[in-house]
Amino acid sequence: MAVTRPMLLSASPHLRAALGVPQAMRDVVIALFPAVVMGVIYFGPYAAAVVALAVVASVGTEYALCRLAKAPVTTSDWSAMVTGLLLGLNLPPTVPLWLPVVGGVVAIALVKRIYGGLGHNFLNPALAARALLVAAWPARMTTWVSPFDGISTPTPLAQLVPRAAEGLGAPPAYLDMFIGNTAGCIGETSAAALLIGALYLLLRGVIDWRIPVAFIGTVAAVTWAFGPLGWFTGDFIAHILAGGLILGAFYMATDWVTSPMTRRGRVYMGIGCGLITVLIRLWGGYPEGVSYSILLMNIATPLIDRYTAPRPFGAARR
Amino acid sequence: MLALVKAVRNGIIDENPVFRLVLGLCPSLAVTTAMVNGFWMGMAVIFVLTCSNLFIALIRGVVPSKIRIPAFIVVIATFVTIVDLMMKAYVPEMYKTLGIFIPLIVVNCIIMARAEAFASRNSPIVSVADGVGMGLGFTLSVMVIGAVRELIGTGNLNLFGFALFGQGLGSDPAMVAVLPPGAFITMGLMLALINAAQRRKAKASVGGEA
Amino acid sequence: MGKRAFYGGVHPPDVKPAAAQGIVAFTTPDKVVIPLQQHTGQACRPLVAVGDEVKLGQKIGEAEAFVSAPVHASVSGKVTAVGVAAHPTLGTGQAVTIVSDGLDALPEDVTVRKDLAALSGAQVREMIHQAGIVGMGGAGFPTRVKVSPPPDKQIDTFILNVAECEPYLSADHALAREEAAAAVLGLRALMKAAGVERGIVAIEDNKPDAVKALAQAMSGDPALTLAVLPCRYPQGSEKQLIWAALKREVPSGGLPLDVGVIVNNVGTAVAVANALTGMPLVERVLTVAGCAVAKPQNVRVRIGTLFSAVIEFCGGLTQPPRKVIMGGPMMGIAQSTLDVPVLKGTSGILVLSEAEVRDYPVLPCVRCGRCVEACPMRLLPSEIAIRSDAGDWSGAERASARDCMECGACAYVCPSRRHLTQSIRLAKRELLARRKRG
Repeated sequence: MAVTRPMLLSASPHLRAALGVPQAMRDVVIALFPAVVMGVIYFGPYAAAVVALAVVASVGTEYALCRLAKAPVTTSDWSAMVTGLLLGLNLPPTVPLWLPVVGGVVAIALVKRIYGGLGHNFLNPALAARALLVAAWPARMTTWVSPFDGISTPTPLAQLVPRAAEGLGAPPAYLDMFIGNTAGCIGETSAAALLIGALYLLLRGVIDWRIPVAFIGTVAAVTWAFGPLGWFTGDFIAHILAGGLILGAFYMATDWVTSPMTRRGRVYMGIGCGLITVLIRLWGGYPEGVSYSILLMNIATPLIDRYTAPRPFGAARR
Repeated sequence: MLALVKAVRNGIIDENPVFRLVLGLCPSLAVTTAMVNGFWMGMAVIFVLTCSNLFIALIRGVVPSKIRIPAFIVVIATFVTIVDLMMKAYVPEMYKTLGIFIPLIVVNCIIMARAEAFASRNSPIVSVADGVGMGLGFTLSVMVIGAVRELIGTGNLNLFGFALFGQGLGSDPAMVAVLPPGAFITMGLMLALINAAQRRKAKASVGGEA
Repeated sequence: MGKRAFYGGVHPPDVKPAAAQGIVAFTTPDKVVIPLQQHTGQACRPLVAVGDEVKLGQKIGEAEAFVSAPVHASVSGKVTAVGVAAHPTLGTGQAVTIVSDGLDALPEDVTVRKDLAALSGAQVREMIHQAGIVGMGGAGFPTRVKVSPPPDKQIDTFILNVAECEPYLSADHALAREEAAAAVLGLRALMKAAGVERGIVAIEDNKPDAVKALAQAMSGDPALTLAVLPCRYPQGSEKQLIWAALKREVPSGGLPLDVGVIVNNVGTAVAVANALTGMPLVERVLTVAGCAVAKPQNVRVRIGTLFSAVIEFCGGLTQPPRKVIMGGPMMGIAQSTLDVPVLKGTSGILVLSEAEVRDYPVLPCVRCGRCVEACPMRLLPSEIAIRSDAGDWSGAERASARDCMECGACAYVCPSRRHLTQSIRLAKRELLARRKRG
């Protein structure tokens, strides 16, 4: 057979690995699916509407801003979808329906696109938007209800910390916290659902185990050490299961764009997140510190990368 | 006469101290939780700026250049003290709100910059015009920032005890706008908008000439 | 041996379609085009003119510099052209075209057998040079130069490189399996030439049959050991191989000589063994693979055979090729025409179909760090590439761009499909040019 058209000339390598950005982002969406389902089971169709609006607002903002800037439309890389989904799952199930929309617009417009879009934002868009929503509407963002019946309830975290737990009753059983039958954000309560997705992401090679392991390990170690009744009396299992730790550690601290590139750096990122989380939880003014800890470490990421750059092979030891 | 108008206009638009020169950011961020705060802050700055510009222009021939900065500061501090005491006496409520930022006018970059860059090189009359222009530019800027933040953060605009929107707009104002982060976000976005408008204008004028 | 033989690296799919097959000989090309530059260093001066009759193994290009290697006629026949021809790595280059008479007639002096035991190290080095032997893994560095270390370097180990870590390629694998005795003989000759006592045969564990054959061929020789390494790209890179086998770190900007090691490819060793029979380097084994070729296989071909002829021998094209590569898919060079000749360093011809060549849109760097994990030189490929793309050459230099060996691992893993290797390559070229300008 004759050569009918010019052959492609390109520089090596001529092979590419299977995992690309859109595939990885889609994997995150798939991994979050169990958490969405559990959230809707626990908090009803209203929660589904909240998550859906966050997604629609995020993707819509991405599309609109790309068109406005006359830039290529980048909604097909799934990253705006991931941002919207994570934002929705990080909202309480009682928020008014305009709130996820505002959050989605803020996440994409103010945190992501304004810096140049995918890869250029220095903060996790979903978390930064959540932080802004908490600052803007603190009451709306901290109104918790129990699953199924929707009765106003404190979160397990509030019950865990002695300074705040006065009169709130005992925290729920571990099993309830594990399956997610507690008050909290739509997507954060069910550790089981989140872990299934996290396992998928680890197996697919989308996320590195270092950040979540260091993050959760640090939280466990420190909460255990600084227990309410003295040294090494802390209920670290409850601290792992309560609040947004698992969601944050596996899905948000591991965000490619805003976490360190070096392996050692990722361990430091995880430890830093863990320390700040515990600091806020046990001694800070907010009941939960996961999102702020991740945001603070996001900012530290370029610095971590700089100081953990590996010594080139063959270079003199520093 | 034209030069005077031009000097005033320059301070308000072309070289707006807050949005174009990005000077005096400390009070621009700190006291702009409401439009009225901006107004009073602006009044204080206009007074200090105009008076200090006038006096510095008057003494510019006799002050040795080596000690000009300390001399400027003495002049500026004098007028700041006057404003400080006056406001404490006649608008005590506002004085409490603005607090430390009134005495801090002494170190406000706008005033020092105009003294150094303009008043020490120009005649007293033009310097007064410059002070008025720059002061007005500052006042308008902080009032705009204050208005935006007040509107978003409280859902209403208050002007001398009169609520512009009666019961307020909506029941869910975004409190963050009147918190410190809100100052930075508002300021950043307004700078971005003004830069974008400026760029568009520049592009349009280039296109027109071509 | 630990699980990770060296830092970083990647695991491309272990696709070696021709690995299990024997070597098929294709020694009857109608014509050959023999470039006068097939090696690092100075090009040869042609010794023949149009119309000359040449015999198989006759020297047709003389090396006139220390870093150079002569070239020989790979068929007997008539010289029909001496001049510019297409070249697979240089674009074009001076070449001698010979139309074969199909006789493979030999000149007398070519058939003289030599006994390794009777030769001195210097004689072996001269034999290697006269046989035109260069590194056959792809780089084409003259072997005589490699086995002539400067006197101030203490060389204690010779490593025979059978890693062959590139996907698709299986020529070294087949050679080691089927000509293990020749490979080991060649290794001994190379060790004698370099004056080295200890030899290590380094091979990846995905070639058990070759491991067995080599172990058998070298049994009873206490000077030789076998290092079976876990499969990982780029194991075949000298610095990585030395680390994997000896845990010695070649210094930045240095050579294996700096840590007392010489590395040579198994194909080179077999060529040296052939030189002992009197035959210079006129043929080599290469892998023909890819979905657009009918019969992927390991072929023994004469140097200078055109790609088109080799592909025709392998059953021809089954569909129009989208991309043809000389070498492996990770470091090979894409060709614009099939009328380029096989060089001494051509380890494979990949004829990739439309389906095998995927052209991805390039996305912004998402700082995932995969390239950092993959880089066997422990560099930050994304940072070097970003600096290179911005024209910040000194920034690229500070980020150790010079240490890059262009293995392609970073671009292979990049989920944003960025052309990292190419950007870094560009920075290296620019830095080299600047250094030359002074």
